[in-house]
Amino acid sequence: MLVARIVQRDESALAALYDRYAGMLSSVLNRILRDTQAAEEILQDIFYQLWRTASRFDPERGSLPGWLLVIARNRAISRLRRHNPAAGEELLETLVIVPANLENAVAQQQLLSKVKSALESLPKEQRAALELAYFEGLTHSEIAARTGDPLGTVKTRLRTAVETLKRNLQI
Amino acid sequence: MSGPHPTRLEDFDLYALGALDADERVLIEAHVPSCPDCAQKLAEAQGRMAILAFAAPRVEPSPGVKERLMRQLHATAEGSGASAVPRVIPESAAGILGRWWTVLVPVASALALATILLWLHNVQLERQLADSRETLRHQQAQLDEARHMAALLAMRDTIVVQLWEQKTPNTVGARVVYNAREGMMVCDGMLPPAPADKSYQLWLVPMNGAPISAGVFNPKSGQMSHMMMKVPAGLTAKEFAVSLEPAGGMPQPTGPMVLVGPIS
Repeated sequence: MLVARIVQRDESALAALYDRYAGMLSSVLNRILRDTQAAEEILQDIFYQLWRTASRFDPERGSLPGWLLVIARNRAISRLRRHNPAAGEELLETLVIVPANLENAVAQQQLLSKVKSALESLPKEQRAALELAYFEGLTHSEIAARTGDPLGTVKTRLRTAVETLKRNLQI
Repeated sequence: MSGPHPTRLEDFDLYALGALDADERVLIEAHVPSCPDCAQKLAEAQGRMAILAFAAPRVEPSPGVKERLMRQLHATAEGSGASAVPRVIPESAAGILGRWWTVLVPVASALALATILLWLHNVQLERQLADSRETLRHQQAQLDEARHMAALLAMRDTIVVQLWEQKTPNTVGARVVYNAREGMMVCDGMLPPAPADKSYQLWLVPMNGAPISAGVFNPKSGQMSHMMMKVPAGLTAKEFAVSLEPAGGMPQPTGPMVLVGPIS
């Protein structure tokens, strides 16, 4: 509904979406970049991109908060690695189906607790590998180079971590 | 259909996580666009991995971001309206050209030259305009912060707390300006850069309950750190503290306390 109103140039709809999702996006941007100013620049750009391109987003086909999270992470990792793949435009067609409710602050807080405890239940090495991949954008080989562990070990760790996480979060 | 289906469901998760190396990634990218089943699996994997974002400590953006965003919308709307300049096309140009071609050819040449010069001038002006917009945006951000700081300081229930260095007695390392009713705080401090794998993390310690993360920061050498942040409104703070944590911060303090500022 809000996306349809944004397409009609309703600024209050964009403001409402901002209030709903800015904290969620700001958290992941700050975690990746560790730079408040850079995180806020990207945050503003993401919502401005949503304003300009909302007509190309089909809510029937995917989750808006999921799409925003994927865009935010992609932009932050690009900034971190100092390359700019067309400022996230390539993700406009990305379909994201989130297996959780992210529509309000209470739901987001509940998910935050679940994700934190699911991650804390992982062995330390698995959790570290997962965080290097998600928050620093490292591939298997890059994680192996960073930690000094054999490539096969890193692959097994990440695969096991993902399987355990899905089981624990029931997603 | 291009290429085989990925053999395991986790391959989609690892792709969404960004963990696959280029040779593994291209196999999925070549296959998915032509396979609706795998496109669906990839969309679900993107969503599953996206919720890992919730492992990050909660950091609210400063109020200025929303204000700048809304101003950006207005500026764009006004800009697009101003560019709609009507064009005037002479109706009987062909007839005039037939009789007065000896006059019109040099005039047309002059007009073409003038058009090129104007176009070049326009390109230059657009570049200057883009630079000015960037400068304006930066200054606006500074102004927003100054305005919020002034508003915060003007509130009668705002408190200023000094954060004392734990290693050097009687030395103030930072200052926090906090308004519980608004849930707004500003922190200024001068700390040495954190080690490569560490970050400083600011905590609000409430009267009751666990410390609440107010933000993570990595100061540069010799530079003042300045942060404006939102925290849940209505909390009665007992003290503020800064600890040294693993890079990116932790849900609760785990590292040594570098600065502590009790509220007297």
